[in-house]
Amino acid sequence: MSKRYVMVHDENRCIGCQACSVACRSENGTPESVSRLQVRVEGPFGDAPHLHFKYNRVSCQQCENAPCVTVCPTGAAYVGDDGLVSIKADKCVGCMYCVAACPYKVRFMNPETKAADKCNFCKDTRLARGELPACVTVCPTDALIFGDANDPQSDVAKLINTKATYQEKTHLGTQPRVYRIPTKRGGIQS
Amino acid sequence: MNNTWGDMAQYDPVTWNWIIAVYLFMAGLSAGSILIGIGLRWYSKDKSVESAILKAAAIISPVAISLGLACLVFDLTKPFHFWLILINYNLSSVMSIGVLALLAYSPIGIAYSLIVLRDELPKWKLGFLVPLAHALQPFRKAIEVVLFVLAIGVGAYTGFLISAMNAYPMLNTAVLPALFLVSGLSAGAAANAIGALVMFNTSSHDATLGKMHGLELPVMLSEMMFLFMLFCALYFKGGAAAAALASLTIGVWASVFWIGVVGIGFAIPLLSMLMPAQTRHTKGVMIAVACCSLTGVLALRHFVLYAGQSYIS
Ligand code: SF4
Ligand code: SF4
Ligand code: SF4
Repeated sequence: MSKRYVMVHDENRCIGCQACSVACRSENGTPESVSRLQVRVEGPFGDAPHLHFKYNRVSCQQCENAPCVTVCPTGAAYVGDDGLVSIKADKCVGCMYCVAACPYKVRFMNPETKAADKCNFCKDTRLARGELPACVTVCPTDALIFGDANDPQSDVAKLINTKATYQEKTHLGTQPRVYRIPTKRGGIQS
Repeated sequence: MNNTWGDMAQYDPVTWNWIIAVYLFMAGLSAGSILIGIGLRWYSKDKSVESAILKAAAIISPVAISLGLACLVFDLTKPFHFWLILINYNLSSVMSIGVLALLAYSPIGIAYSLIVLRDELPKWKLGFLVPLAHALQPFRKAIEVVLFVLAIGVGAYTGFLISAMNAYPMLNTAVLPALFLVSGLSAGAAANAIGALVMFNTSSHDATLGKMHGLELPVMLSEMMFLFMLFCALYFKGGAAAAALASLTIGVWASVFWIGVVGIGFAIPLLSMLMPAQTRHTKGVMIAVACCSLTGVLALRHFVLYAGQSYIS
């Protein structure tokens, strides 16, 4: 696999406006009751007057070692040539093993297709046309940065090489490809 | 909905519900029942007659696995596409391996049942199956051995299925398959006793029934030991795993554990062993105690599945 698509969510820049979730919903036609992407505003943390919130992007982490792919009995959950974890809806029987196995709880059963569903970085639509994922395009504060981390010249590669980032639940060995830049108190410096 | 980011319903960590608990119970019961039936046959000296226990197992085992599989199929979001799972295999998935095991286990189990029940079939208007039973007869030994091995696989598989998920510390432990296998044995023994007493009118002093009773105490003790090991493992792992131990003290699953698993499943059968032999060996008491064991095992499946999924690392 020559490409390694990653997404960086800069929690410093994020303002929790939900524009990304709305764009995702409209791009992917996600049914009303479910979501591929949420940005949860958690907190406040700390003591007044130094309160702060945490902006937690909740979406598929595109694990390099993806539990949802390992457990899927039919191979409906698979890793594509581009390394992205996707779902072949017509191969899915709806056993929900992957939904149970995903440590980030971001997989769900689509009430319309009855198949498992989740974020795939807009692989079939926008990426296929050479565009950025919908959430990245629409973010008003440029809190989302996306690209091929195997290309040393890409913005994401430079970013994860120079900034302190973290990933969620790395102790489970899933190797998530969503990186987060933690909030630095006292405003943005960049 | 009173947050800005939307509905949280899909993020409930409990994905698999009671239907799956019933399936896990049925698969364990089926495997346990036939393992005990075959085991006792190998152990007994007179192999020419089919014991009431084996005949009961020959009915219970295929019926239980069929009911369990029906639960499984109708719990799929696309039940009418279940064949997809039969033609696509992913050998890194425990579920796929289980499908392969069940694909062999179910028909072989039915073949074995026909052999065991060959003299009963005409009574149930299934006389047309007798020639098939006789045709299978020469392969009895081979079928028996293969079925025994597959039953161990199916019994343990129910534990492997849910222990393969590292998101849940209470499920992701190595003792779970062993715990499910032995609790399947105790369910199987209880169901066989009920079947033998009710369907085949066995005397409650029957020798095979007595031998099966002898197995109950060691099976129950190993069940308790595996449970203890499971909780110890969680405790020593610390972090999210240790937090999962809270399921023993708070919430509805704590009641299911203490009342269902410990009270009904362990305490009543153990205390019944203290009863005077005459009372203990009456049909009514034996059936009641067996029902308690079955309830305990069903409660254990529910507890493990729900409490296990409620705590995520
Ligand atoms: S659109 Fe950008 S700023 Fe708004 S919630 Fe999404 S990531 Fe944060
Ligand atoms: S975050 Fe969940 S759904 Fe996405 S790749 Fe990882 S395990 Fe699969
Ligand atoms: S629900 Fe579909 S994608 Fe998920 S494990 Fe089952 S068959 Fe695979």
